[in-house]
Amino acid sequence: MADLGTSQALTPVEPPASTSRSSRRSLAVIAVLVIVVIVLLSQGLLKSLNYFETVDQALSQRASLGTKVIRLEGVVEPGTITRTDSGAAFTITGSGGHHVFVTAQGSPPQLFQANIPVVVVGHFVSATSLDFAGTQIMVKHSASYIAAHPNRVKAPNGTSR
Amino acid sequence: MIKLSQRLLGPVTLLALALTFWLGLWVTPPDAVQGDLVRLLYVHPPIAWVALYVSFGTATIASCLYLWKRTRSANLDRIAYCAMEISVVFIVLTLITGSIWGRPTWGVWWAWDARLTSTAILGVFAVAYLALRRANDDPALRARRSAVFAILTAINVPIIHFSVVWWKTLHQGASVLTSTGQLNVHGSMLWTMLIGFVGFTLLFFWLLRERYRLEVKRDLRVATTMDEALAQRRREGV
Repeated sequence: MADLGTSQALTPVEPPASTSRSSRRSLAVIAVLVIVVIVLLSQGLLKSLNYFETVDQALSQRASLGTKVIRLEGVVEPGTITRTDSGAAFTITGSGGHHVFVTAQGSPPQLFQANIPVVVVGHFVSATSLDFAGTQIMVKHSASYIAAHPNRVKAPNGTSR
Repeated sequence: MIKLSQRLLGPVTLLALALTFWLGLWVTPPDAVQGDLVRLLYVHPPIAWVALYVSFGTATIASCLYLWKRTRSANLDRIAYCAMEISVVFIVLTLITGSIWGRPTWGVWWAWDARLTSTAILGVFAVAYLALRRANDDPALRARRSAVFAILTAINVPIIHFSVVWWKTLHQGASVLTSTGQLNVHGSMLWTMLIGFVGFTLLFFWLLRERYRLEVKRDLRVATTMDEALAQRRREGV
């Protein structure tokens, strides 16, 4: 049996300061988290929690908006869509019946059509004009989903083409 | 009965998902406005449902039960941890499927509106939970801190849910859980989507079960390794 003299006596090992080290690491995680969340929120807040102004809201704030870049939301009026060399021109309507004529650059999205709500990024062409120059069109599709041809008769083999 | 349900969980999950994909891709009609783009309806909302409510919700509830002394146990801590891991995966899938759907419908891959921003923040919270667990070596301290963190960050879930009501967003409003109780999805599209909800929810529980089993084995291995190390130390001392 080994001599358990004082020189070879087992001495208790001091446990590492795991609590303080864990606390420092936890604080570092929280600090990184706060920075990332602030960055993400700044993107949302800087561009406003409300993602767009409706036609009625924009027209009521017309004087203060000037030619500031905004996102304008309205429903595309039927019969007003014209394809131009650089994009499309159309009229959008607010729920209060107000209209804004939009000239937009770039190809509209796939779902762009009459009677669909759109959000147009751009600005009024002058401080007093009601014409809107758009740089981007986004379609704000609704939450309703209806079959394309609900009353279509099915063939005996089950197809409906 | 429990063993039977456990054995059936995997096959039933597979069946529900297969049914969702078959119905979604081949049986249900195209939408009047979105055409065939609507088929993402059977994937994106169910994945988002699991990400926000089922997995993050499970982690939060398990965390609450862990912090309550009467129900505190290592099992609950494991459940919270495993559920949060799965939540990260589903949140990422929510954002990816949402982008894939958004590009042809909205016209953009991403928009910094309230719904998308708050969902991205939830993903950051879930990743931070996992990082917090790695930062703490002591099991009890780790469990307590991560439980508190999960509960505090769960406040983001109702914010995400009501974001389309409180603020003007590019993201659409609710199609099923509407404030008026009205359903905005019709016919075969509705019940295919609901089968999708069931399928992906079952998938979560299957993943949770498998991940939990793995975690139990890992903890057992760590404990065994610790016991062997202590025994070795004692042998060296004599």
